[in-house]
Amino acid sequence: MIEESNKLLYRDELILYLIHCFQGERTISGIYHLLKGKKSAQSIQDSYLFHVEPFFHTCEDLDRMEFDSLIMECQHAGWICPKNDNSHHYILTQMGNEALAGQKTNLFPDGLRLTDYINDESQYWLKLQLMVQSLSALVHHQQAYLPLTHVPSVTESVRRCLLSTTLSRHDLANRFYEELVRLLSNCPSKEADLLVSQLTGFKKNGLTIRQIAVLTDRDNYECRLLFKSGLRRVMKQIAEKPDQFPYNSKLLHTQRSGLSRSAAETLQRIRDGLSLGEVARSRRLTESTVEDHLVEIVLKDPNFEVNHYLTDELELQIIQTATAAKTRQLKAIKSQLKAQASYFQIRLALARNAVRKGETFGGTSR
Amino acid sequence: MELRDETQKLKRAHVILKEKFGYEQFRAGQWQVIQDVLNGHDVFAMMPTGSGKSICYEVPGYLMEGLVLIISPLLSLMEDQVHQLRKIGEKQARALNGLMHPQERKRVLQKINTLRFLFISPEMLRQPQILAVLQRTKVSLFVVDEAHCVSQWGHDFRPDYLYLAQIKAKLGYPPCLAVTATADERVRVDIARALDLRDVRQLLMSVDRSNIALIVKKVMDNSEKVDQLIQLLSKVRLPGIVYCAARDWTERLAEQIRLHTGLRTAYYHGGMDAVDRRKIQNQFLDGELDVLCCTNAFGMGINKPDIRLVVHFQFPGTMNAYLQEIGRASRDGKQGLAVLYYTEQDERYPSGFIDMNFPDDTMLHQVLVELDQGLLQTEPKDNFLETLQGRGASETAARFLYEQVRAVPREKRFLSILDECRRIIRERRIIQMNDLKVMKDYINSNTCRRAFYQSFYKEKQQHKPKLCCDQCGLQFDAFSGEESPEDRPHSEQILEWRARLTLLLKGSDHEK
Repeated sequence: MIEESNKLLYRDELILYLIHCFQGERTISGIYHLLKGKKSAQSIQDSYLFHVEPFFHTCEDLDRMEFDSLIMECQHAGWICPKNDNSHHYILTQMGNEALAGQKTNLFPDGLRLTDYINDESQYWLKLQLMVQSLSALVHHQQAYLPLTHVPSVTESVRRCLLSTTLSRHDLANRFYEELVRLLSNCPSKEADLLVSQLTGFKKNGLTIRQIAVLTDRDNYECRLLFKSGLRRVMKQIAEKPDQFPYNSKLLHTQRSGLSRSAAETLQRIRDGLSLGEVARSRRLTESTVEDHLVEIVLKDPNFEVNHYLTDELELQIIQTATAAKTRQLKAIKSQLKAQASYFQIRLALARNAVRKGETFGGTSR
Repeated sequence: MELRDETQKLKRAHVILKEKFGYEQFRAGQWQVIQDVLNGHDVFAMMPTGSGKSICYEVPGYLMEGLVLIISPLLSLMEDQVHQLRKIGEKQARALNGLMHPQERKRVLQKINTLRFLFISPEMLRQPQILAVLQRTKVSLFVVDEAHCVSQWGHDFRPDYLYLAQIKAKLGYPPCLAVTATADERVRVDIARALDLRDVRQLLMSVDRSNIALIVKKVMDNSEKVDQLIQLLSKVRLPGIVYCAARDWTERLAEQIRLHTGLRTAYYHGGMDAVDRRKIQNQFLDGELDVLCCTNAFGMGINKPDIRLVVHFQFPGTMNAYLQEIGRASRDGKQGLAVLYYTEQDERYPSGFIDMNFPDDTMLHQVLVELDQGLLQTEPKDNFLETLQGRGASETAARFLYEQVRAVPREKRFLSILDECRRIIRERRIIQMNDLKVMKDYINSNTCRRAFYQSFYKEKQQHKPKLCCDQCGLQFDAFSGEESPEDRPHSEQILEWRARLTLLLKGSDHEK
């Protein structure tokens, strides 16, 4: 065997790895939504259930055509195939398994695992870009510039940060510069370069990820993952030591926001003693939405008490059924347990089980 | 006496033009419009893209007491105009639109009495609180930009424009300036009536931009097209825009061009992330790109005077759109070039777009039924539009349906408008198919291209430029760039983070 043919491209390895994790239990769209970071209960839960949460929201700008052509590429290469005929569920072929196992090093950057502040990722990044653009215009005495974004929450937040200080614009720019240097010094330089190359300012327009990929002769997917890894490292430092980064911390909601806002509200009401039905009625939500919230809560807080909804015996029975059937597909489990367990209970049990197993990021079968 | 007054005004206007805008003299038509505006007349001005419409209300802004209110249908246009004014140091120019943070809106309204220019969307203008503030302000001039949007005959019909006459009345009938780039007779009559223009002075400039040479090239197939385009780009003056009918073409072409010419090339389309779009646009404006491959999503509100080339890789659906798009070339008055490539396969694009402008009959029927059953609601508007788009309707089709159903009175069933909707769709389709036919006739005509569209707009050809069109014997050689691609300044990209961050955030010390 020639060494070359064994070597996977970055994007191929990413797709093969994710298909390996999902084991054909979710459709190819599930992987697309994961990378895109779709904020649906299903996508968020799946990311925990299959231990792929570091990849959630890593390729925000991915479009479906680009993704589909990548899937086709992998299928043509013989690495993946539909689980059954005409199915959108894909699994690795033997060749695919070998190719993936043949990858010696783990390419995926570590910073991706820092998902605590993931809900604020897009907002913080927009704010950071606009902040740098504004400061750059200020220190270079630029009369007017076209702001990169008009998202109202972003422009307001940057405006407040600029006005809330008594520093001169040069001093403010200096402080901000210093903070960014400290934050980025703690990132691998590949990641820091990717992050800063996208920044816009006076006589320096930021590059898009795709432009950087062309210039550095890398893959779009690699660039996206490196960037997100860097961004998450930066956010984590700010959140953990806000006093050391006073200006950046004004742009980041440092509240550990694993939970979506709506799920957090549900949690509050449950703690106030409301039943699921009462929460649903009081919030004018359907009961299944509230159930989604509960699964989300369990995934993010392993200590959350679920005795109310799921007994230990039933939980054990569900997990045993799932293990015996080697599946995490709800329908398959439900069809065996019939009336003994509801879909909601099965989801809760799977969620708790996923959390207990802990993260297996980096691959289990390598 | 009167004559002396006029000379005085002209003098003062000239001073403003020079000091604020840096121009030595007015371009064709500008002074006539300004003069009529200053004398308190209602004015209708049809001026082609790139002829300097905005000067016509910006200069009066410095000569009249009070606020110039400019109604603009597009956020990007508004933003660009405020930006252009800021660049010349005008701080009293702001915009008001639906996407702004409420706090920001409040701040604008609070300082309205100190503003000189306010750009506003027609939707905003209908809000009672905003109107109330404006009623307490002296509005010196009521400008309706893209005035053709008021006409139901136009493609860009905006229902909110129909309320502008009422609003003008509530503001005490300030003089009104309605401007547009193209409007045929039918649309002009609509504009005057719908905006209630009185004692109106008209300026109808030719749609022709004589400094833009025109070439149509028929080729066998797409691969020949790509070859020819690549040859063209390595020969003629740039920067240039290449308009494509579909998103995937913009990406493919950009890559081909980059590989074969080494030109700094990027693509732009509506499917891209908003920040990425902004970055590419700014790179193009700042001269960091030689070629931009884009869909028609690019162009509105783009103010770059030195674009030398506009290529249509596929042709647009109307002559109007074509003139608008090539009109982005050479706004500085120097020589520009417009090239349209044609193969038979391109025919499917525009007719496909026309079909997509309307919901198909099954969807139309289904939506009306569901509205009657309460399974669908017309409000909030965004939800309604999103639901329809989720079912495969285009944005234009979704908007079309929204405009139809929101007019249904409460006591009537939605289904009762089914036949009316079908009739409207039929009628509009006929109009759009006719427009498309004119565009095809332009491509297939074997007489002077310029004469063709001038006769379509019922204009007589005034003078024929030396570099006219392919039918008049024009050759590409006349446009050879004086510099080879290697000579073009290659602004170096700095990718190393420390160096780049220092450049961005450290002002050089000698600047104070």
